[in-house]
Amino acid sequence: MTSSPADHPDLPRLRRRVFLALFAALAVALHTLEALLPAPAPWFRLGFANILTLVALFCYGGRAAWSVALVRIGVGSLVLGNLFAPGFLLALGGGIPATALMTLAHRVGGRRLGPVGVSALGAAGHAAGQMLIASLVLVRHPGLWALFPFFLLFALLTGIANGVAADLVLDALRGHPAFSAALGVEEER
Amino acid sequence: MSTRRLLHLLVLLLLATALGAACKSQGAPAKLVEVRRSQLLMGTVVEIIARGPDRPRLETAVDGAFAELARIEKLMEPHGLDSDVGRLFKAGIFLEVSPDTAAVIAQGLKVATASGGVFDMGLGRLKELWDIEGEHPQPPSAAAIAQALAGTGLGDLQLNGRVVQKRDPGLVVDLGGIAKGYGIDRAIGVLAAAGVEHASINAGGDIRLLGNRGNRPWRIGIQHPRHPGEILATIDLADTAVVTSGDYERFYERDGVRYHHLFDPRTGQPGRLCQSVTVVAPEAVLADALATAVFILGPQAGLELLARFRGVEGLIVAADGTSVTTPGLADQVKWR
Amino acid sequence: MALTSLWRRTRPFDRVVVLLLFILCAVLFVVLRPGPPGRRVVVEAAGRVVFTAPLDQDRSFIVTGPLGETRLAIRHGSVCIEASPCPHRVCLGMGAITRSGEILACVPNGVLVRITGTASTGDRTEPYDLLSR
Repeated sequence: MTSSPADHPDLPRLRRRVFLALFAALAVALHTLEALLPAPAPWFRLGFANILTLVALFCYGGRAAWSVALVRIGVGSLVLGNLFAPGFLLALGGGIPATALMTLAHRVGGRRLGPVGVSALGAAGHAAGQMLIASLVLVRHPGLWALFPFFLLFALLTGIANGVAADLVLDALRGHPAFSAALGVEEER
Repeated sequence: MSTRRLLHLLVLLLLATALGAACKSQGAPAKLVEVRRSQLLMGTVVEIIARGPDRPRLETAVDGAFAELARIEKLMEPHGLDSDVGRLFKAGIFLEVSPDTAAVIAQGLKVATASGGVFDMGLGRLKELWDIEGEHPQPPSAAAIAQALAGTGLGDLQLNGRVVQKRDPGLVVDLGGIAKGYGIDRAIGVLAAAGVEHASINAGGDIRLLGNRGNRPWRIGIQHPRHPGEILATIDLADTAVVTSGDYERFYERDGVRYHHLFDPRTGQPGRLCQSVTVVAPEAVLADALATAVFILGPQAGLELLARFRGVEGLIVAADGTSVTTPGLADQVKWR
Repeated sequence: MALTSLWRRTRPFDRVVVLLLFILCAVLFVVLRPGPPGRRVVVEAAGRVVFTAPLDQDRSFIVTGPLGETRLAIRHGSVCIEASPCPHRVCLGMGAITRSGEILACVPNGVLVRITGTASTGDRTEPYDLLSR
């Protein structure tokens, strides 16, 4: 890295922190926006907020992805006023397995696994986790699982779409000097 | 402390709270066990269900409840030698009865007065005449009915403290269902005194509830008056009594006419205005008397009678099969 | 072309992962498929049965959950959720169910509708605790 008087040694770390905060804020915004949107079709849960988790994962790694996901769920629920309500439990039950699967897949798959695959896995984990929470806590009936294939299919489609969106965002970020370092490191791995 | 560590702490705190909230929302109180026992008493099968955390305690309480029912039964047996009802049969005009029998008669008289004599505890002779449950029942002649009705009507029984006064020495007192209602009221009292919080007693369809079922109200099915084995509606209830009187319980048919056991004291004939009447009241003895009275009065006058009693609701199936409920019950009945 | 650009955006493992997930989904569709036409509708709210009705009688029914009233309708041997207070209306989009074992769920309002019994065998569980007669 070229060193100039303007370049503080802590700059990358600060940048990282600022952008993570930005990602989390954007994720919260998308999370809230989606909840407020009049659903065009009932099955339409787009999970846009996950794009930000994906971007954080590919820019800054697993821990960053966890931060964005958990902050998104926590603050998003605060904003929507359903903290600890069933909706929050569902979000958490979907978000944790999704993030776990995504970070794990990213670590194992490395460069050969892009945002699309990671996102699809995360979406599947999200669907499975929500199903599990719903059947354990909210509905408590095994018949609920009959719906799982539908949930999973839809989750896969939105997951792929979000993966492509995340890839587009990452492409855009790559062109930005603030991210060249982070993404450069990523590419070298 | 670094920002990162603070963030981790916050996230951890959030998760712990969420977990706590999840556990709390799911955390049931101590597991309830259920004691369910049936016994033949008062001419019917009495089933007691008691639910609570402590089985031995429930068993003891249910024993006590059955003992109380047996005591009431002995006191009010229609033909018992030392039962109050048996002694009333033999007595001339005055008889001092037990406090329990006095309580039953007091409740009965309340409904008799309120219903203008349509509920009458002096119909023993009429019931024997019709002999609905006999081997070869026949509709009796008009003269025989008139004779059996002699001395009945408003004021045929009076009560002063524990002293019952019959207007006519030949009057045959028949406490019928209301003794059963009183019995389950008393038995529920025994369960409550023993610390049971969730119980039900079902004496051949006369039901008294103590508390709810533990996790939800008791769901009471109302028998469909024309389709045996089917139910007309369900009602979720707690801490109350439910009694249904219907023309389908004990009846026979001659030439397409249904003769049943609920008589109109004004005509001596079975009531013709209803198929069944369900009354929800704080006490089973009251519900029992009111269900009989409303059955004779019919839907319209019946609803008016029920409206005069506090905490009493009802569901009436009229002779044409249509149903009406009191306003307070309208939202609670789930039709089937 | 959208599909070719999509293909370009995927890396080798992506394609494998997505393919595997679709296969899993297909397998689940087969494994969890519902049974023959059912006989009774059972409606549960907050984990307890609030209503049951034969599937061959048309009627509508309102269940009250934490969010408000969910309206159900039984018509021509199938049951569907007609109106719901939940934010995403996922339950409305589930359409109508007719087969034993199929369910409709409005998770936010805690309402579960399932179909039990089969047209031939029937389902004999009583819908009440005590019978007043």
